[in-house]
Amino acid sequence: MKVAAVLRQVPDVVEELVIGADGRSLSEADLMYVTNEADEHALEQALILKGRDGAHVVAISSGGDEARAALASAVAKGADEAYFAPVPFASRADNHHLAATLASVMKGAGYDLILTGVWASDQLDAGLGGLLAAELGLPYVGGLTSVSAPAESAKATVRKEFPGGRLGVMEVDLPAVLGIQSAENPPRYVPVSKVMQAKRSLQAQTIPPAASHEARVHLRKLTKPEAATRAEMISGSPEEVADRLVRILRERGVA
Amino acid sequence: MTPPEIVVVAEHLAGEVTDVTLEMLACARELTHTIGWHVTCVILADDPKPFEALPLASGRTVIVQDPSLSSFNPVAYSKVLAHVLRDLGPRLVLVGNTNVGTDLAGSLSHLLDAPVVGGCIRIRSEGEGILFTSRMCGGKLLAQIEFRDGMVIAMLLPGSFNREGGMRDQVPPTEVRPSPVSLKGLPVRFLELVEPSLGDVDVRKVPILVAAGRGVQSKANLEAVEALAKTLGGAVCATRPIVDQGWLPRARQVGRSGMIVKPRLYLALGVSGAPEHVEGMKESGLIVAVNTDPEAPIFDVAHFGATVDLLKLVPILAARIEAAKGGA
Repeated sequence: MKVAAVLRQVPDVVEELVIGADGRSLSEADLMYVTNEADEHALEQALILKGRDGAHVVAISSGGDEARAALASAVAKGADEAYFAPVPFASRADNHHLAATLASVMKGAGYDLILTGVWASDQLDAGLGGLLAAELGLPYVGGLTSVSAPAESAKATVRKEFPGGRLGVMEVDLPAVLGIQSAENPPRYVPVSKVMQAKRSLQAQTIPPAASHEARVHLRKLTKPEAATRAEMISGSPEEVADRLVRILRERGVA
Repeated sequence: MTPPEIVVVAEHLAGEVTDVTLEMLACARELTHTIGWHVTCVILADDPKPFEALPLASGRTVIVQDPSLSSFNPVAYSKVLAHVLRDLGPRLVLVGNTNVGTDLAGSLSHLLDAPVVGGCIRIRSEGEGILFTSRMCGGKLLAQIEFRDGMVIAMLLPGSFNREGGMRDQVPPTEVRPSPVSLKGLPVRFLELVEPSLGDVDVRKVPILVAAGRGVQSKANLEAVEALAKTLGGAVCATRPIVDQGWLPRARQVGRSGMIVKPRLYLALGVSGAPEHVEGMKESGLIVAVNTDPEAPIFDVAHFGATVDLLKLVPILAARIEAAKGGA
């Protein structure tokens, strides 16, 4: 069984996000990148399938040069092959274009499962998984918390999240594209030394971008939200904050 | 000239339309009030009965009936909706920014050659165009996107509109149609819906919740959070990353795909306030948030906030509350 996991590089939202001079994009120079969290789960789920059913795992990263580091980490964790899809900064959130790029190398390449994170934090488009499935003419189901695909069975059994903590159990004929919400286990840790080692010997094939197309979603303005209401901030040392909170909680009758 | 059409794609579970469906109708209704567009709510089901007499805030309701639509099936939904939408030719299609809407947006975009705007929280008309406001980067940024013509598919973030606005006092004209397309031999099959196992605590029923977010940092640190919750007479709930790490059971997860809670006190510790979490707790009575990032979106829904280190604050707060109890 051949399984692909797509690893997109997205702005690290823990860092301060600086809006660029054009007012429509993030300031590239100020950005730090991380692998999209749900994509980390997609890779973990692929590696779980490798451990359980002997899947051959192909890691595909997209973004700028930092995406190569994500590939080294994926190989250190156990991915068998690595591909790098360079995406220019201006097109990072355009999943239509990324889907077309990835489809060009995935078509006819014998993948049984293609796993993507169900959502990317910088996304303003439809999810990558659904678009990629449509490009490839394959079924797509997303929002999954587990995937079981015994070798030779030609189908996968998945668990999909619904509101209220409910899970839908579904069966999907392979090949298919699946959108992972969270893997069965948290993404595994790999020591930095192993990542450095993988980085030195990394052999990643580059995926040429799909013919440029006109993006359909144009940002007119990017702003930081101004809340209608904002919390009353309590300043001071932890002791002072604790004292004030106790007073507030007692006034409200909750402590 | 007939007014442009808005189609709301309904979501339902166990015979009931979900909150996001009513919220999408409330959003569409607001647009019709300002620009006079027509709203059609499309419901896909095997049994139309639970939906026929619903006083939905649509100009009309179209129920597509087929045995294959007994449960959500992304392939069946996409096939049927592509036909229905081609037929209706709407200017705007609303789906939920949910695990249902996300399954449909990509394939509908492809089949109908329509662009998609994800993460929408506001939609308004501007001249000939439609202006969308979307949340991105965990709620830290808002993007404005404009479309001047053609069909657009928008994914509405749950919790952006009041669900009450999706109902009115009369039942709109309702039409039941058979599926316009064969739904035999689908590559996806729905097997069963599993209810959550609640374990020892049902967080929906606890009046005081202490929420652990990523800022709690480790499983070991959860002990102090548990102790604080116990002192307050409440329970610990969590955001998705904590549950994904396996530090707390799934039934403790609050948010879009977890539990929706409304406690008297919600003490959010190290919670950033991503939209999918806020959806599950924003109606709590008193919200207090502690996060070292002063820009964390959680402070937009909290009543009180502090940026101190929660690991330092938690034991002090627990001791102070214990002491206050003694003095009461």
